[in-house]
Amino acid sequence: MSALVDLVLGIVTSIGGFVEVGSISTAAQAGSEFGFQLLWAIAAATVMLAMLVEMSGRLAAVSKRSLAAAVRERFGIHFQIVPLTAELLIDVLLLAAEIGGAAIAVKLLTGVGFQWWILPIGVAIWLVLWLSGFAVIEYGLGLLGLVTLAFVASAWQLKPAVSALGASLIPSLPTHHHTRYAFLAVSILGATVSPYLLNFYSSGSIEEKLNESELWVNRTTAYTGMCFGGVVSMGVLVTSAMVLQPRHIIVDSYDQAALMFVPVFGRWAIMLFAAALGIGCFGAAVELTLNAGYTFAQVFGWSWGANKPRRDAARFTSAFTLVLLAALAVGLIGFDPLRLTMLSVALTVVIMPAVVLPFLVLMNDEKYVKKHTSGAIGNAFLALLTILGGLLALVVIPLEILGG
Amino acid sequence: MDLIRDVLDKEVVDRNGREMGRVDRLVLFVREGAPPRVAAIELGPAVLACRLRPLFGRWAAALEHAFGVDEGRPVRISFGEVLDITDHVKVDLAFGETAAATIEQRLRRWVGSIPRSS
Repeated sequence: MSALVDLVLGIVTSIGGFVEVGSISTAAQAGSEFGFQLLWAIAAATVMLAMLVEMSGRLAAVSKRSLAAAVRERFGIHFQIVPLTAELLIDVLLLAAEIGGAAIAVKLLTGVGFQWWILPIGVAIWLVLWLSGFAVIEYGLGLLGLVTLAFVASAWQLKPAVSALGASLIPSLPTHHHTRYAFLAVSILGATVSPYLLNFYSSGSIEEKLNESELWVNRTTAYTGMCFGGVVSMGVLVTSAMVLQPRHIIVDSYDQAALMFVPVFGRWAIMLFAAALGIGCFGAAVELTLNAGYTFAQVFGWSWGANKPRRDAARFTSAFTLVLLAALAVGLIGFDPLRLTMLSVALTVVIMPAVVLPFLVLMNDEKYVKKHTSGAIGNAFLALLTILGGLLALVVIPLEILGG
Repeated sequence: MDLIRDVLDKEVVDRNGREMGRVDRLVLFVREGAPPRVAAIELGPAVLACRLRPLFGRWAAALEHAFGVDEGRPVRISFGEVLDITDHVKVDLAFGETAAATIEQRLRRWVGSIPRSS
């Protein structure tokens, strides 16, 4: 019964926690500029994320090690230091972007400039982390995040042609702006397959004491939760494509993206968009901050855990507090949150091969995953993703300059 | 035993299972005409940084000195104190009685002064 409750909660919170600043901005831009044509990119990125998340959970359940701890132990600090440093820097940028996204949501509700909300939101994030255990953070924010289902409801109400949606799941070339199209496709991948999610998921599995006999819970949660989460992202793209593209509205700010709800939700549109954006970004910001603490503690072998009294894990607590302060400093400088988001998702793609490659080794090492090693499909997927990630890492910066 | 695979970078726990850090460096005792023996394991940011670049190690040591947490660090634990090597390296010490706990204890004073920290 407990496993079933965990399963249902896991799936529901995965859906609620899927959409955040990166997925909203990339999907909204893709829809407004290319209609349904980039739906395949969301579908492909979601399947990739689901497979990687399942592997992270399996690794944690069997080896009792998080991803960051296993990489340090198996590959050593010389391998880990560069991707780790890059990942932490990207986490700070992404965290600043998430805080910016939440601040813009409050601005949409109050009319007061978003810069004024950055510090209060930072304090709120820290208070949630200070006062809550893992279950409250994971399930509480995930359940609140179900407000993002408004994107699916909106897409449903707009009645898109099913044949057009189906056809968009097969990659095709656009008739215009090829570089921009390629940049958005790569950005959708970067926004969806966030490295922090993988370590956060494996750390969460340890916090929840997932064990080898519950691998089916992990598998079902990962695939079902992530795939339904991907449907929410698709809801953003479809709504944007059906509302913004016919009106030639290009999303270059979140204020414009908010207009996508107007035809379906009328006078509630801005409030609902603000709630979806704000809760999605706030939840992701809390997870990013917590994950920064996890990563430092696991790499250096400190005591860690959201369920531990904060004074019993003082270095872990200090680490996530410092990362939050660094992100607030970036946010307060006054960068445009949308530009910051697009920069951080592009940089995520640059480090993707270094994030995926360790999986290929760890998931085949019986010392870590015992008899639960990856099969031929899992290995072929990881090899393909490593090669694809390597190629995308080479082209993403030129694409960012030319099409970003 | 493969020292690199089975010991280096592994988590170190004290006799009560409390996390102390990771094996950041191994100290070998080189003997003439005989294979080297592991003399000790070392823990701490300065030795870890030194493994990356000696210059980084000096910077980390200077930082520890500047913050007044350098006494007894880096922590060197004789290999004779190692009780077991499984998923962790378990040592016959108490975390709080070693210099490995210096930074944790210092931060704990600040963190503990904030309401609802325990």
